[in-house]
Amino acid sequence: MRALMGQIALEIKLFLRRKDELFWNLAFPLFFMVLYGLIYGDTIWGEIKAIDYMFPGIIVMALMVNGIMVAATIFVEERGKGIYRRLSLTPLKRHTIIGAQIIHRYMVTLIQTILLLAIGIFGFKVNITGNYFYFWLLLTFGSLCFLSIGFALATLIRSTRSATPICLIVFFMMLFLGGIFFPLDVMPDFMSVIAKVLPSTHLNDAIRLVVIEGAGLGTVWLDLLIVGAWFLVSLVVSIKFFRWE
Amino acid sequence: MDIVVKVDNLTKKYGDLIAVNGISFSIEKGEIFGLLGPNGAGKTTTVEMIEGLRKPDNGTIKVCGIDTQKNPENIKELIGTQLQSTTIYDQIRVKEVIDLFGSYYKKSIPSSEILEEVSLIDKKNAFYRTLSGGQKQRVAMALALVNDPEVLFLDEPTTGLDPQARRNVWAIITDLRKRGKTIILTTHYMEEAEQLCQRVGIIDHGKIIALDTPTNLITNSGLESAIEFSCLPEGADKIKQKFKGAGNVSELGDNKFILNTKESSKTLKELTRFSDDNNINLENISVRKATLEDVFLLLTGRSLRE
Repeated sequence: MRALMGQIALEIKLFLRRKDELFWNLAFPLFFMVLYGLIYGDTIWGEIKAIDYMFPGIIVMALMVNGIMVAATIFVEERGKGIYRRLSLTPLKRHTIIGAQIIHRYMVTLIQTILLLAIGIFGFKVNITGNYFYFWLLLTFGSLCFLSIGFALATLIRSTRSATPICLIVFFMMLFLGGIFFPLDVMPDFMSVIAKVLPSTHLNDAIRLVVIEGAGLGTVWLDLLIVGAWFLVSLVVSIKFFRWE
Repeated sequence: MDIVVKVDNLTKKYGDLIAVNGISFSIEKGEIFGLLGPNGAGKTTTVEMIEGLRKPDNGTIKVCGIDTQKNPENIKELIGTQLQSTTIYDQIRVKEVIDLFGSYYKKSIPSSEILEEVSLIDKKNAFYRTLSGGQKQRVAMALALVNDPEVLFLDEPTTGLDPQARRNVWAIITDLRKRGKTIILTTHYMEEAEQLCQRVGIIDHGKIIALDTPTNLITNSGLESAIEFSCLPEGADKIKQKFKGAGNVSELGDNKFILNTKESSKTLKELTRFSDDNNINLENISVRKATLEDVFLLLTGRSLRE
């Protein structure tokens, strides 16, 4: 337990000192929140305010930044430098290293979300009609899913140099095909077929229905099933092919 | 004397390549033991198997009486390791990383003492990424010392360092020796092995081909002096023929040759006379005491520096 707390403290310290990590995790999603708020303001799309439509997408984007962009690239970088190899010579346990990284990233997700909620509600009057407890459950579920995808990517990526480009491609694919910036109906058919299997699409839909429109968790069971499937598959890939060196 | 490390018939294969081929040795408490050999000889593979980083295909390893393959976790508290290239987090300060590593062990030395030991006190608040190569190497040594280990592994501690930084590292190792630490050191610098180690195992193609104190290795090889000279290959061939009985002529490359001999002044006279008589133009002649490098050359026919 003491070792785990120590590693979490280390992760937080490194986080605050890594400018790229601070940018991706905090500045990037907050920038989109403010940008959309300023552009769309009180515009109404159909029956829903534009910013209300956008808000869940920005939350999903923040989760993907954390899992796919940051967790995966930093793990590949530290592995490439041989840091984990050096640590394996100390009594520090490997599950402590991974556990601390997951807890740290989850804490970052909570902070990101609180900041996005604060700016959304007080700055641009985002309308949260749903249950906050359900929101937290979806957030935790989504965070685990994208962290798991991030670690699966990190195990499959071999070289440090290819980590950032590969993660960027996956990130933007999930972002643009996930109905986060524009609705799925405007996409060509083949793209919407891909979109319908992506976890970003389904988490986005689930958060929109539950948090913005106030639906219960039962309404979004299919979305949760698909996100859960991604979580499990990535988890199995991460555990089966995990590499420390 | 207590045996701290005992290695028996250690073997490691990578596909068809036998990297380490049945190596056995033991190290006494307080000894600095050197593994000397060219790059790719199997030094690093050997120490990394003892440290537990690589699994041997065959053989047994005991550190402080503990079988490292049966109890890989138990020996971590007892050993300190400096890898050939240690990299840590760029965004961490020197003192922070020493404290961090100290927290991983049941018992650890305060970072202030370690900083003094490796002369990094004035750099304790510097970020790791801002350090020079020599300073980073001393941080790696500090991390190896943090748990006051029974056995210290230093894998090529001075490779790639400038002469000043190398001397700093040597001073730290000499100091550790005075304090009675048991150290296993790998190097491909013969002067490093000669200066620092009480016993040296010369390793080539995965085998220990000689093992003794540096002085004994040189004396027992029958090489007391070495005459170095440059000349054209045709001349060298004639010299090789002539001095077959008196000594061993080896080629260093670039038309440089070494003639090892027991009777340097007599052989030198004969050499100059012979080359005069045969119109061989000798240049850059120098006579020196034989070194471990010459022993290696004699045993393998190759130079360590290749």
